[in-house]
Amino acid sequence: MPFKRFDQAHPFVTLGVIVAAWLLLPTAVKTFARATFFELTAPITLATSKVRDLQEYWSLRLHSKNELIEAGRDLARVNASYEVAVQENVELRAEIARLESLLRLPSFSDYRFEHARVARRDFSSWWHRLVIRKGRNFGIPVGAPVVFTGGVVGRVTEVHATTAVVELISSPNVRLAGVVEGDSRPISFQGGNNPTFAPPKGVVELMPLDLIASPNTPKRLVTSGFGGIFPPGLTLGTIVRAELGSDGLFKSGEVRLDERLGSLTEVTVMVPLNLDGAPAAARGR
Amino acid sequence: MRLSLVLFAPLLLLWAVVAEVNHTLASLHLCLFAGGLFVASIALHQPLRPGLFATLAAALVCDAHAPVPFGTHFLLFAAAHVFVFRLRDRIPRGDNVATTVVVLFANLGIFLGLVFVEARAVSTPASLWPRLLADLIVSQLALVVVTPWFFALQARALGLAQTLAAFRSRQAA
Repeated sequence: MPFKRFDQAHPFVTLGVIVAAWLLLPTAVKTFARATFFELTAPITLATSKVRDLQEYWSLRLHSKNELIEAGRDLARVNASYEVAVQENVELRAEIARLESLLRLPSFSDYRFEHARVARRDFSSWWHRLVIRKGRNFGIPVGAPVVFTGGVVGRVTEVHATTAVVELISSPNVRLAGVVEGDSRPISFQGGNNPTFAPPKGVVELMPLDLIASPNTPKRLVTSGFGGIFPPGLTLGTIVRAELGSDGLFKSGEVRLDERLGSLTEVTVMVPLNLDGAPAAARGR
Repeated sequence: MRLSLVLFAPLLLLWAVVAEVNHTLASLHLCLFAGGLFVASIALHQPLRPGLFATLAAALVCDAHAPVPFGTHFLLFAAAHVFVFRLRDRIPRGDNVATTVVVLFANLGIFLGLVFVEARAVSTPASLWPRLLADLIVSQLALVVVTPWFFALQARALGLAQTLAAFRSRQAA
């Protein structure tokens, strides 16, 4: 009879042993186990991503030659306008460098742009993350800003051998300083709770009372450059609503983020060239 | 050990499929959670120790890919596995409907466990409930569809492993 009782309790004894063993396991072992299991499954993530690319390639092959010719023509026009923008950019950079030397201002951090394909998107209620197909093999550091044509995507939070994890600005736990375009006062931006079938959104707090934003008169929110991770002037989103906060001193509001954040296939990682001058997060600390 | 590996292989495939579905659903702000299927498919039919090893290995894979304290899935999956294992003699395990119901309940339990763990990290957890409810409904509906396929896949994987083992022993003899 006692044997039968133990037999019934055996699974729970096993569970107790597992829980105790896990709680007693040193943190270093757990960190090693996390990295090991991530790297173990990284080839699966990369393989599925490349299969997806192949699928896209074969679907593109079905397009007619006329469509390709039209696409090439449109691309040539876009390239021509970009050529002009590049020339202007070179002149402006030279002007900035001249002013910096004249006024003895500290220079902005320089970045190397590393383009990477998105291997996996993971948008749960608690976090919004991307796995990209470049990691330590391309010198990507933890904390590096990630951007796309619509503005800021997020920042690198984990770097692995051939992959890196990016936390998006739509993630509820992301916080950073922004400014309204044309204004210099910093505002606190935080990723919001993203409802199903709706565009991603965030919230702003500590917004000065004289700034007005509504759906009819939205304000563009850009990075402030404070904190050192993101260079100033990158688009975060659009403030579409601002109301007086509970303290009566500041406003709080809603930010509409770019809808393309949920369907990104390629992003650009801004790798600081001078890591000594970069913030601690970008140095991988 | 070999049985654990054979059981782990379909779980890894399931993890890859769920990750791919979530990749596609990301633009709709929906997320599929299939924790119950990882646990119940093995706990209902396999012996405790090799089954638990396979489930825990799958849990560590889930933990490695989620920004939660490492071990959250591990402990939740272990608890769910033991509970389902303890109850399995009272469940008609050959019946598809009964096994699907067990998977749904296991999934609900693990999902609520994760909500309880993660809710403390969010400043306004109440505002997350509509999204969580949508995720849960989609996950449960998907599990109703996927469960019979995955149980069949597990059975096939075990059958294949047994055939290979028998073939090797015959060759050795």
